[in-house]
Amino acid sequence: MLDIQNLNVVYGTGRLRVDAVKNVSFHVEPGAAYGLVGESGSGKSTVLRAICGLAPISDGRVLVDGQAVTTPRGKAFYRTVQMVFQDPYASLHPRHTVDRTLSEPLAIHGEKDAEARILQALREVGLGPSFRFRYPHQLSGGQRQRIAIARALILRPKVLLLDEPTSALDASVQAEILNLLDDLRRRLGLTYILVSHDLAVVAHLCERLLVMRNGEAVEETLAESLRSGAASNGYTQALIQASQGFTRVASQPAQALAG
Amino acid sequence: MTTPLLDVEDLRVRFHLRTGIVEAVRGVSFQLGRERLGIVGESGSGKSQTGRAILGLTPPPGEVTAKRLAFDGIDLLTASKRTLRTLRGGRISMVMQDPKYSLNPVMTIGEQIIEAYQAHAKASRNEARDKALAMLEAVKMRDPGRVFSLYPHEVSGGMGQRAMIAMMLVTDPDMLIADEPTSALDVTVSMEVLRILDELVTERGMGLIFISHDLKLVSSFCDRVLVMYAGRVVEELEAKNLREAQHPYTQGLMRCLPTLADDVRPLPTLNRDPSWAL
Amino acid sequence: MAGAPLAEQPSSLRAWLLSAEPNSRWQARLGRFYLGWRAFTRNPLAVVGLSVVVLLVLVAIFADVIAPYSPVAGGDLRTQRLLPPSATFWLGTDDQARDIFSRIIYGSRITLFVIVLVALIATPIGLLVGTVSGYLGGWVDTVLMRTTDIFLAFPRLILALAFVAALGPGIENAVIAIAITSWPPYARIARAETLMIRNSDFIAAVKLQGASTPRIILGHVVPLCLSSLIVRVTLDMAGIILTAAGLGFLGLGAQPPTPEWGAMVATGRNYLIDQWWVAAMPGIAIFVVSLGFNLLGDGLRDVLDPKAAK
Repeated sequence: MLDIQNLNVVYGTGRLRVDAVKNVSFHVEPGAAYGLVGESGSGKSTVLRAICGLAPISDGRVLVDGQAVTTPRGKAFYRTVQMVFQDPYASLHPRHTVDRTLSEPLAIHGEKDAEARILQALREVGLGPSFRFRYPHQLSGGQRQRIAIARALILRPKVLLLDEPTSALDASVQAEILNLLDDLRRRLGLTYILVSHDLAVVAHLCERLLVMRNGEAVEETLAESLRSGAASNGYTQALIQASQGFTRVASQPAQALAG
Repeated sequence: MTTPLLDVEDLRVRFHLRTGIVEAVRGVSFQLGRERLGIVGESGSGKSQTGRAILGLTPPPGEVTAKRLAFDGIDLLTASKRTLRTLRGGRISMVMQDPKYSLNPVMTIGEQIIEAYQAHAKASRNEARDKALAMLEAVKMRDPGRVFSLYPHEVSGGMGQRAMIAMMLVTDPDMLIADEPTSALDVTVSMEVLRILDELVTERGMGLIFISHDLKLVSSFCDRVLVMYAGRVVEELEAKNLREAQHPYTQGLMRCLPTLADDVRPLPTLNRDPSWAL
Repeated sequence: MAGAPLAEQPSSLRAWLLSAEPNSRWQARLGRFYLGWRAFTRNPLAVVGLSVVVLLVLVAIFADVIAPYSPVAGGDLRTQRLLPPSATFWLGTDDQARDIFSRIIYGSRITLFVIVLVALIATPIGLLVGTVSGYLGGWVDTVLMRTTDIFLAFPRLILALAFVAALGPGIENAVIAIAITSWPPYARIARAETLMIRNSDFIAAVKLQGASTPRIILGHVVPLCLSSLIVRVTLDMAGIILTAAGLGFLGLGAQPPTPEWGAMVATGRNYLIDQWWVAAMPGIAIFVVSLGFNLLGDGLRDVLDPKAAK
């Protein structure tokens, strides 16, 4: 479904040159969920932004459904690929009601039957019609993220790019959103690319994942091997260790990092 | 029994807003010895307001009341402004979430540590400088001399937070309140910061209040945990007994996190019982 | 539309307006408006300002009904010149034996005309230039903002004078001159706001839906710039009224016998010591209306732009 070949993203030139993504390649099957894991500055979000055109592709290719993407992306691309952002407080227009937010993509693509599709989109993300005319400030963080997901799904895309979709939410709300995403993928046959710093979240939602560090791919592995602790790379091990909580034993991930 | 380091009884924080009175903290009581106490809760649980109220940093429309709020026998509610100033930053310190906002951007890190030290200890500039360098070394800065003369924007988040800890611990406080000290940091970096914090707290025999939303982290780091919900402590337990938590909220919080250890699908969600907030 | 509850008593109307689950677009919009209105009315000075502005509008509309005399045709030049305020002539008469009260009443139409026209010309220009410049960036931004800088570099009254001198005196030319000199600050404000908005996630989200640039600017950026611009325009109204009056005073705005307030002050100048009311009465009118707009602008700022109020 999605093929990333030797992707490079470079910002600036000369002394200000930043190589945000260096030669990253991966392949995602239709209906699969693929995770990108790493810490800040690892370039994981930049990969996502490069796929959808918010970041420049300096070198390499991005293929969707076997077709290389064009810059700027065409309308057909946006009907296939949609994105959900990290912060639900920033990704909804503060002066637009839910109704306006959801009808905008339909209007842009000249879709008929907006009324029914808005109600259906709300139903899909587990919200009733009573939410339709609310403003974002009348919604909780979890409800906002549901609206953002509904907005991404209303054009019936095949690929959903998820940029840390739960990291701004409380733990209990995170569980609800993760369940929703899991459920939607199965029901609608979606392909996911999930970016997160949280190994457990990625392992929960995805089958395969790529560990990134400083713009480079460190290791591609399966969620299964994360669970069994079979990851070979030292950095991945350090991440696994850190995600287990604080350990007073003299294990030093800092040393693993230095290597 | 000896006097506890901090004695809090029936602490309440109210905000008088246009729309009415909002009670952020509703009768919190606990005692702190020379130990690591964790306060856990989700957003809006009042955990941060509890920490701020102890330090007298409740923002303006807020009002703090308590039956008892005493630090080492000193009543913090009736203490004079001067006493409070000497305590704050001297015997009580606080580490905030994001070093970007809590360090002064136009002063070098070294100057800030020196200033913090001199505000509470009579020391010559040279002594203060030595102390600051020693402190930077204590927080495992690789090159204390260089970090000393850097400005906050020139260091990474993890280094900034370590500098912050150095600044807060330079006066040898008896109690440290850390409000989400690692939430803005990457996991591997935050482990490093926590390890440093842990060493210092243990070595110096400080009391630590560790405020966080991360139940897993708090229970692995602290000795004792208070779980807050809607401004109240719903459960208090030993960190090692977290698995035997009684309150449905604590149990729910524990279960709803995805883990690497087992694959539960769908994740159990939290059904908030209105009676928890009563 | 759920219009039925409107007829019921205020308490249920309020509940309908403040409903957390509006049933229609209109209810949501009205509810939002009502919340703003409640915040606005908490500021008594702002309400005073609003009353002054509403009064100005009403007076302008009903000038024919309110004014007791003709604003243009004078009375008996031998007996009714320069009379002090009295029961017959509430605010006295001027040197042409015209009733000053009636002239002020009719003058409100001219003031309102100037204000509305300037707002209608300058605000859209400033808004468009600012948002386009801020959103597109690059050379478009450079060209548009340097143009704005050039306009900003001219002193407003002087440029207005030059314009009027070139186009000939008259109220329409004065309006054009004022409008042309007042849009640059709006463009700057709109650009500053746009720069903050354009990198936000909700703009990225609508871009990813395939929205065209005009659609993003008009539908998503402009509404967010509008509130701070409305505040600024309202606060500027006092200055615009004064500029219009200043042009009138210099004889370059409205031409006699049009009852323009600034021109009225100018005629009164000759009798300032002995017949003070001739100049003072229109002066007070200018003062009250300017103050009204300033108070209204302050109140609006508290409601629409909470950041700036703090």
